[in-house]
Amino acid sequence: MLVAGLGIAWVGAVMLAPLDATRRHWKLVALGVLALHLLALAVLMGLVLTRGPLETVVGGWPTGVGIRLRADALGTLFAVVSSTVLLLGLAHETAQGTATRTTPALILFMAAGLTGLFLTADIFSFYVFFELSMIAAYALTATGGSTRELGAAFVFAVVNLLGSFLFLIGIGALYHVTGTLDMATVAERITAVEPNSAILAAACLFVAFAVKLGLFPFHFWLPSVYTASRPAVAAVLAGALSNIGAYGLLRFGAGVLPAQLELAGVALAVLGTASIIYGALQALSRRSTSEVLAYSAIGQVGYIIVALAVGGTVGLYAAVLYAVINALNKALLFLSAGLRGWLVGAAFAVGAFSVAGVPPAAGFLGKVGLFQSGIAEGNALLVALIVLGGALSFVYMFQIYQHDHWRPSEEPPRPPHGRWQRAPALLAAAAILLLGLWPEPLLGASEAAAGALRSPS
Amino acid sequence: MTLLFALSVGVLFGSGAYLILKADLLRITVGIVLVSNAANLTLMSSALTRGQAPTYPLAPGVQVSDPLVQAMTLTALVIGFAVTALLVSVAFRVRTSSGSVDIDELSRREQETERELEREDVSV
Repeated sequence: MLVAGLGIAWVGAVMLAPLDATRRHWKLVALGVLALHLLALAVLMGLVLTRGPLETVVGGWPTGVGIRLRADALGTLFAVVSSTVLLLGLAHETAQGTATRTTPALILFMAAGLTGLFLTADIFSFYVFFELSMIAAYALTATGGSTRELGAAFVFAVVNLLGSFLFLIGIGALYHVTGTLDMATVAERITAVEPNSAILAAACLFVAFAVKLGLFPFHFWLPSVYTASRPAVAAVLAGALSNIGAYGLLRFGAGVLPAQLELAGVALAVLGTASIIYGALQALSRRSTSEVLAYSAIGQVGYIIVALAVGGTVGLYAAVLYAVINALNKALLFLSAGLRGWLVGAAFAVGAFSVAGVPPAAGFLGKVGLFQSGIAEGNALLVALIVLGGALSFVYMFQIYQHDHWRPSEEPPRPPHGRWQRAPALLAAAAILLLGLWPEPLLGASEAAAGALRSPS
Repeated sequence: MTLLFALSVGVLFGSGAYLILKADLLRITVGIVLVSNAANLTLMSSALTRGQAPTYPLAPGVQVSDPLVQAMTLTALVIGFAVTALLVSVAFRVRTSSGSVDIDELSRREQETERELEREDVSV
């Protein structure tokens, strides 16, 4: 099951890469493969949640020699969410007809890379999968063809490559001080390592993931890329690819280097707070929808970092929950940003409520999780920050809602959007509402994920 | 030996970072190549043992060099190569679509487009 979750997307991507995917039947095949991949991951997640983590050593090597694949609650949860977002993005591209020849294959490669990264227990194969999905993303942002898009793609690639190489240096450092690449063994041996070297390695990893996330002082590439990309590409970047950053910080921070994470708690809290406030204020001052969403993305990841800084079972639970909900929110908002019509308006409103944390949208759960962690910490400042951030996001979300959906349109009427074009955005909105109204599965999965981090194998 | 490695990594990373701060897309690409090789050299120097080539059959009692870092570096080199190809092709497409590979020139044009967009916004 573990290998199936990884293999389906990979084989599909390789097969589709040379084919002309602008043809209708290949597009449908790509959608089918991605749906199958998502189904396999969902089954895997069900197995993991009921029977505990699954493990396999690839290539039939003895344990301790070969690369370990390990599916636990955290990894499968992120894999399912990212693949859902990728499926929605691909469906949107297909329905809009904006997909180029290679888009489906690139999205499938990204799905394979992301799944591998979420399911591996080896830090070097983490890097390889990470680069696989990043390269697919670089190529995907460059498919548009306008100068602005290409320039943004170049900046995106350069900044993220710098992050990747810092990550590689961090891996080298970890290997040098612990003598192993297996996450669980690194976590065991790092306690005996001289604190200075461990902190240096941890700092390299943190910068790499913060660049992926677009956290405040590392965010400078993000707005130009998100605004220059097509809606579906922006949705995939914000909803699936930035999960690498959140997952990486959770896995490496809380799972492998917990002592270093605790040490950096105050710094993380400061960066997270700065990110929340900076993102919200910048979003307030922007007028175009994609710019507001891009800055909102910077603000929203701040909450994940703040929750991570709080730490402990409550903090990690809030961080996982918020990361998952944020991925779905961003996918919904970017997908519905370019469309018009009252149904899409309603879907966008659901997303806006979710970002602001108003029930019954799922964002409410994320905010409740953050409140719980703030109260558990006894930190009134944190609670005040969450309220302030929520209020600001309510204002900027409805500013653009009003701008896009209430203002009488004087521009020439756009070609009407058909049922299929609106379907992905509506599905995402339905999913967010459903998770908000029936939250037990998501809450249970996040709790299990936080638990998996607290007690690694 | 360690000092030599550390110095080379530092020089490579420093020159790469300097080139990345230039305005020319090709210089930036070369900068990325240098930084990627700084990372590869770091990986190589993180080896746990030094010695002869780790090829089978091993003579008993001979210290061999750590093969794992070499495998990792090889993988990282290939990835770096692919990424360089991608960057060069994007730079080429920027060149064909705009006639320039200068970032300042490109951002000047972007600002112009933004100003136009704002003007449209005001007129609506």
